[in-house]
Amino acid sequence: MKEQIKNFIAETTFIDASTINDDTLIFDEGIFDSMGLLSLISFIEEEYGVVAEDTELQEDNFGSVERIAAFVEKKKAA
Amino acid sequence: MKLERKPFSKDILHLDNVDEVIDEICQQLREDVYKKFRRYGGVIGISGGIDSSATLAIAVKAFGADKLLGIMLPETDSSPDSEELARELANKFGVNSIVENISGALNGFGCYVRRDDAVKSVIPEFNPEVDKMKVIIPQEFVNKNMPPVHYAAVIFEDGSEKQARLPMKEYLQIVAASNFKQRCRANMLYFHAEALNYAVLGTPNKHEVQQGFFVKYGDGAADVMPIGNLYKTQVYQIARHLGVPEGILQRTPTTDTYTAEQTQEEFFYQMPFEKMDLLWYGWENDYSAEEVAKVMEMTPEQVEKIYKNFARKKKTTEYLRTPPLHHYCLKGEKTEQ
Repeated sequence: MKEQIKNFIAETTFIDASTINDDTLIFDEGIFDSMGLLSLISFIEEEYGVVAEDTELQEDNFGSVERIAAFVEKKKAA
Repeated sequence: MKLERKPFSKDILHLDNVDEVIDEICQQLREDVYKKFRRYGGVIGISGGIDSSATLAIAVKAFGADKLLGIMLPETDSSPDSEELARELANKFGVNSIVENISGALNGFGCYVRRDDAVKSVIPEFNPEVDKMKVIIPQEFVNKNMPPVHYAAVIFEDGSEKQARLPMKEYLQIVAASNFKQRCRANMLYFHAEALNYAVLGTPNKHEVQQGFFVKYGDGAADVMPIGNLYKTQVYQIARHLGVPEGILQRTPTTDTYTAEQTQEEFFYQMPFEKMDLLWYGWENDYSAEEVAKVMEMTPEQVEKIYKNFARKKKTTEYLRTPPLHHYCLKGEKTEQ
């Protein structure tokens, strides 16, 4: 899943996927802006059937590839 | 020799030499408009807001009232206060002013229909005939280290309100449709500027330019931006100094874009401008989060988060400030960009 998320981020932002690590802070690094976050929300909904609630839009859930993957896993398991 | 810099304080942005600053801006404006662009004067879109009012007041000092045209550009969603205050401003400074209502052009572009369709897709009960709408960023995003997500808010006829998070497609459609407004205004300003051989004097302030709170080729379309390097606090100081009417000085900065009333703070900045000015100054001038936090009565962590937000906003809005690129050429040929 992490690879899939990484590839999605790379494709959306036109950057090389190899430059994104699991713990790269995608907002801090300026990789993703508001549009990126919105596209990410749509991506996890379409790809994994996970709907992010308003209160879940937190850096802890979306700040990096590993956090996104953990968030998706947690939601799928719930 | 390294110059001692001022310790960070709440009045660090106060202009002690306001007349000198105004004179410097005016001299540069004359140089740019008359000598560089060879235009005879300037047109300004006046909205009754502080930025366009300060711009007009400075321009009167730079060129004289007889070399200026103030244009009010209302449309269906504009507050009637805007036109009234703009008229009062033009009268006070003796500037000739005209009204160009752009509602017909906006209808022609489908501005309102396209925007309202996008709102209806997230709030189906929305009836644009009687309800009002706006786009907001919930306040809690300011304390998150995340880019903001926008919500559509509808105020129904009975006063009740409903908000819904905007998916990308709908958000982009609302923004794109609403931007017709600023672009129509730019068209009209350039019509009058060209008809008079004048320059368009743009009205964005430093925050709007640097944080990307403007529409590319809309209110971002201008030949010069006299207050583009001034903090909002300084814009107010200059406006007051030059005698901008009290009603304008006291008015809360609004977007005047959607049918429901909306402050700029609510829509974009997420904090009062006095606070934002100081924090931006601190960030831009490399004051440490610790030093700024003490003065602002915040924690260093809060300041750090806001610094990061500023850095992200500036980086992600670079596209807006970039003029068309034309550095494409055959290898070896000389280019200018």
